[in-house]
Amino acid sequence: MAQSSLSFVYCEWGSGLRMGIVWKAAAAVMGGIALGLVATWLALAGGMPDSVADGPWQTSLSIGSANAGARTRAQVALHGLFALNRGETIYYTARRDESGGALTGDCRYRVSGRDPATRWWSITAYGADDFLIPDPGKHYSVSKNSVRRNAKGEFAAVVAADRAEGDWIKVARAPFSLTLRLYNPDPSVAADPAHAALPRIAKVACG
Amino acid sequence: MSALLRNWPWIALGLAVALTTHLVSVELVPHIAMARVLAKVGPANAIRHGRRPDETSRGVVRPSPDLLYSTCPYDLAAGPLRVTAPVPPGTYWSVSAFDADTDNFFVENDRQAGARADFVIAAQGTRPVTHGLPVVFSPTDRGLVLFRTLIDSEARLAEIDRVRKAATCGTLGKP
Repeated sequence: MAQSSLSFVYCEWGSGLRMGIVWKAAAAVMGGIALGLVATWLALAGGMPDSVADGPWQTSLSIGSANAGARTRAQVALHGLFALNRGETIYYTARRDESGGALTGDCRYRVSGRDPATRWWSITAYGADDFLIPDPGKHYSVSKNSVRRNAKGEFAAVVAADRAEGDWIKVARAPFSLTLRLYNPDPSVAADPAHAALPRIAKVACG
Repeated sequence: MSALLRNWPWIALGLAVALTTHLVSVELVPHIAMARVLAKVGPANAIRHGRRPDETSRGVVRPSPDLLYSTCPYDLAAGPLRVTAPVPPGTYWSVSAFDADTDNFFVENDRQAGARADFVIAAQGTRPVTHGLPVVFSPTDRGLVLFRTLIDSEARLAEIDRVRKAATCGTLGKP
C-alpha cells in the first residue's frame, strides 16, 4: 500500500502537468517578492514625506513626529534619522539654487540674507552620500554665531570648491546639498515653514 | 489574452505576494535602520560621547559639525534607565529619546530642563519605583537617548565639552 502510493506521488510530480504547477507557483512567489521590493524602493526613494518648499529650501512636515504612517516613518528612518520635531528644530534641505539648477561644486554660489527667525541657525553642505565633504580646513558650515554681517544685518556666504574671502563653505567638484537648521524656531516659522524668510541661494558663476 | 485568463490564479497569487512583501518591508525599514545604529554605537545602558563631527563621521547621515552628540543606547529588559545631565549654560542643548521604530517620543531642551536634567525611562506598561524622579515611558524596550550640545562659540568649546561629558546614563539602582 505504502509502496504504491509512493510511486503514485512520484509519477504525479514527475508528470509535465504537475511540474508546470510547481514552476508557475515558484514564478508567482518570486515575481511577487521582486515586485513588492521594487514597490518599496520606489515608495521610499523619493526623499522626505510631506515636503513643502520655501524657495529652494524644502522641509518635511511630518519629520520627527511620532505616530506617523508606515511609509513616512520609513522615509524618515532613511533620510532624517534622529531628527527632532518641528517645535524643537526645523531642517530645510536645498538640492537646487533659486533658479532651479542642481547644486554642484562646478559652480560658485552666494547664500545671503538676514538671520532667520530662530534662536540659532546653521547652513551645512553635504555630499551626495549625505556626509560632510572632506576639508582639512573644516569649512563645513556657517552659523548664526560665526557669520559676518554688514551694517544692515545682512550676511553673504560663498559656497564653492575654491577658497573664497569671508564666510566660505567648501564643497567638492561634485553634486552637493545644503541643510539649513533652525533650532528653537519662532512659533510663526514652526506653524508655517513654507513661508519663513530664509536665505537666498544664487548661482554666481560656473567653471 | 487567453494565457492571462488561464493563469489568473497565479497572477493573483503573485500580486498578493507583492502586496505582502511591500507592506512588510516598509514596516521593517525603521527597525533595520535602528538596529544598525544600535549595533554601531556601543553597549546598551552606557553613555558615549561622540567627538565633534567631521568628514570621517559616517555613523548617522547628515551630522552637524556645530553640535556635539552624546548617545546612550538602552535596553529596558534590565530595568528602567536613569538619565542625569548638567545643562551647559548659555547654549542650545537637548536630550531626546527614540524607540526601536525610530519614533521620537521625548525631547527636552536647556530652557525646559533648567540647570539639570534627571529622569527615568521605563518600559510602557511597567510601574517603576523612581523615588520622585520624573518618568518617561518608552514604547519599546530598546531605543536610543541622544544628547545635542551646540558649540555656540569656538572659545567655549572646551568648557561645553567638559559639561556635556558629565552626563550619565545607566540602569536605575545600579552604580
